[in-house]
Amino acid sequence: MKQDSPMMQHLKHAAAWCDHRLGISEVWLPMMRHPVPKSVEGPMGWWYVFGSASLTFLMIQILTGIGLAMVYVPSASEAYESLLYLDYEQPLGWFLRALHYYAGSGMVVMVLVHMTQVFLQGAYKYPRELTWVVGVFLLLCVLGMFFSGQILRWDPDAYWGLAVAGSMAGRVPFLGPVIVHTLLGGDIIGGESLSRFFTLHVFVIPGALLGLLAVHLWLVLRCGVSKPPRPGESVDPRTYDAEYEQELKNGVPFLGEAMVKDMLFSALATIVVVLIASILGPKGPTDPPLPTMGGANPRPEWPFLWIFAMLALSPRDVETFIMLVFPVVVIVILVLVPFVSNRGERSPSRRPVAVLVVIVTYTALGVLTYLGATAPWSPKMHAWTGDAIPVSMVERSNVSELVGSTVFQYKNCRNCHALDGIGGRRGPDLTDVGTRLTRDQLIDQVSNGTPGGGLMPAFGKQITPAEMTILVDFLVSLRPEGTKPAGWATPEPSLGEAPPQAAASTDDRDET
Amino acid sequence: MQQNANPPDNTDTSPAPRSGGARRGFLKVLTALLGTVATVLVGVPFMGYVFGIRKRRVYWVNLGPVSDYTPQQTQLKTFDNPLKQPWDGMTAENAVYVRYEGKDEDQRDQFLVFSVNCAHLGCPVSWFPQSELFLCPCHGGVYYADGAHASGPPPRGLYHCVWRVRRGELEVRAPHYPTLHDTLKQTSVG
Amino acid sequence: MRHAAVTYGAALAAMLAAGCGYTPPGKPNPADRPRTPAQITDFDFLFQQNCTGCHGDDGKFGPAPPLNDPIFLAIVPDAELLDVITNGRDGTPMPAFARRLEGPLEEDQIKIIAEGLKKHWKSSKLSEDKLPPYTVAAKDEATSTADTEAGKKVFARACASCHGDNGQGSSEGHKPGRINDPDLLSLMSNQTLRRIIITGRPDLGMPSFAEDDGRPGDYQPLTSEEIDALVALLASWRNQPRSGATVTLNVRK
Repeated sequence: MKQDSPMMQHLKHAAAWCDHRLGISEVWLPMMRHPVPKSVEGPMGWWYVFGSASLTFLMIQILTGIGLAMVYVPSASEAYESLLYLDYEQPLGWFLRALHYYAGSGMVVMVLVHMTQVFLQGAYKYPRELTWVVGVFLLLCVLGMFFSGQILRWDPDAYWGLAVAGSMAGRVPFLGPVIVHTLLGGDIIGGESLSRFFTLHVFVIPGALLGLLAVHLWLVLRCGVSKPPRPGESVDPRTYDAEYEQELKNGVPFLGEAMVKDMLFSALATIVVVLIASILGPKGPTDPPLPTMGGANPRPEWPFLWIFAMLALSPRDVETFIMLVFPVVVIVILVLVPFVSNRGERSPSRRPVAVLVVIVTYTALGVLTYLGATAPWSPKMHAWTGDAIPVSMVERSNVSELVGSTVFQYKNCRNCHALDGIGGRRGPDLTDVGTRLTRDQLIDQVSNGTPGGGLMPAFGKQITPAEMTILVDFLVSLRPEGTKPAGWATPEPSLGEAPPQAAASTDDRDET
Repeated sequence: MQQNANPPDNTDTSPAPRSGGARRGFLKVLTALLGTVATVLVGVPFMGYVFGIRKRRVYWVNLGPVSDYTPQQTQLKTFDNPLKQPWDGMTAENAVYVRYEGKDEDQRDQFLVFSVNCAHLGCPVSWFPQSELFLCPCHGGVYYADGAHASGPPPRGLYHCVWRVRRGELEVRAPHYPTLHDTLKQTSVG
Repeated sequence: MRHAAVTYGAALAAMLAAGCGYTPPGKPNPADRPRTPAQITDFDFLFQQNCTGCHGDDGKFGPAPPLNDPIFLAIVPDAELLDVITNGRDGTPMPAFARRLEGPLEEDQIKIIAEGLKKHWKSSKLSEDKLPPYTVAAKDEATSTADTEAGKKVFARACASCHGDNGQGSSEGHKPGRINDPDLLSLMSNQTLRRIIITGRPDLGMPSFAEDDGRPGDYQPLTSEEIDALVALLASWRNQPRSGATVTLNVRK
């Protein structure tokens, strides 16, 4: 063996000294080389890459977050300007903002996929129950980061997002006002509200997240990586430890082949996120956070669209329950998962209920998210002046119907009712309403709204008799060419021999 | 990773000399006591700092002479909310809807002053003078001109601000962010 | 595929690091800086969002009178455009757009629309002096019987062939429908009536004051006074007792 140079000898000596004091080769190296089940080395190992991808994204988030914090000003009067500065002035400020947003989104995706994989393959069962529980709270941290991060993007979505959070918290019985005050840091949404969410986003939640993550990783090391499931292999807490120990006798070191997959996938995921960020660019900020600005149309970030949808669709009576109790129920269910079933089969092919739960959950989340993104329940505020009456309707209309359609627009009906699919979608599309409702039914509906306090407000007090008459002329005309209006051909028996009033009055006005 | 790497540590349970036992017992109690006191001394002020509630002060915001208002018309009035913090910037610019109801039988001016925040989840409602409705862009809450709930998810009508007429001018008590259990009729939290 | 992605990513990273001339598509363009609704000054956008609902895409084929109409733009005074967009037309479905009347637009935006209409669509071929003046003589209330009598004669000549002898609509077909309906007329101002008589609805087939499509062979363009007389006649129909079904309004609790 070749004699090392004195320099090299000194370095080696110093390294050995450090190693002795830090215990790297004694404690840390064995930890990294801990064996994992051999089959992780095989194709099944690709299922195990999502956790480490989440970790990779977390590191990107820390890096970009530090970068953004160098320029961003967490002050209500200057945050917006500093965001614009990041987008347009600071070299690559736009890129950091974009990457922070898309890596954050990627983190939510990876955490969910990781969780789903653990659930489907029963990896949360004995002895890894606590790993799952800590993971649930990590998910909550990630979602908390997403929400608080949206607030820092100090635009109308942020401002009104805070308003919504405040209103939801304000529904808590007795303590509501105190919670709202604590959340907003004052009587109105403003500087201290932003500072509180800045503190949450930069100190509190990251602190909790890193702490939980340390526990999570320690549990992974302590309990070992679960063996890829095989149908028929069952978990029994009484025998599992011995079986697992046996399994590891043939194991492979984690720091080796098994880790290559993780690193490869993380690298790919990072590249994809960088590409998306550089192509799509930073998200917002949109308009300045001016509370008096007309036409604000706040929307939550994508991970919360499903909640937005649920709140729009739930009946008024159960809404407060959905806001306050439902999230707790979901968290409790998630936490209880490994205690409900911590033994038995792990392979998804033997656990149809688990597979069904995943399918149902994701379908529901997907549908609700889609609904939240399209928000058919939101009135379209500019429809009455911005969505033209379809030309085909204009061309077939007589004078009364033409003016009736301007009354339709003028009374903002279009904000909730589409014609030919264009317009608001809160109420039904009225393209064929003339075939469904008679003249009298239309007048009653417009005057008094949906019976029993439904979706349509009563217009009776806000519309003159002339406007009503002409408006209904237009509505009755809304039917395919050549069809008769509703109530024309089928007089209701209860009305006796006389022709139905609706038909008579329609006749009177429509064809003269 | 090895669960039983160390033999069980029995030193705590082994019988100790009598005199030392009393002293150690006292030390334990003292440590617990002082520890608690120290924790409270740090914790209570900190909790007070984070959760403390400043007394909500009453400010009156001038919204101009009554003669500027047309009866039965609703308008958006903007103002710099005195409840702000000095660094609030444009977010302190708040608004209310004011509807002049004319004079009552005692010749007193009557107003309706509404918060712009929807009673459902606080989104900003828009006033449509043509249909005389307030529409909320978030979940489609609708209110009539008098603020009453017309349709949609809101559990109540619009929040009413407290107002008064002083020397011919309309004044509104600076509105805090209103919520279901903390409406604008209240002066203090809770 | 993966190789390509890696290569591209590496190249991109290198370029980002070097800060060289390459601009990724995601880099925000300073020209796209966010603008508040009040800061929008683009005529096309403002017209699309505020006018097309009733006046149609491109200002025609809407239910309300077309704004993209050469005769209209030749005769309408600038002040009238500005006034009507600002304040709306009382009693008709034309709303006020000014912010101070709870409309959606700032004063300068209204100006952009009012001026933009002529800038975009006014034709230089038509001269104002060969056309009847835009402004109506008789206000909504003021109608003399003399005018009405004169109006009946003009109506028979210029309108009856499509609108029926008394404006009751033609015997065949659905269009143009009845125009002697007081409910209908109560939603149209005398000014609008005069304007429609002058310009017709070229997009929907109604002839202008000068065109003879569907009119008697010896038809002569209407004079300004004849148009006034027609408006007076229509205004008198407006004051007839309402014939339409009476609307019962259940008062909400």
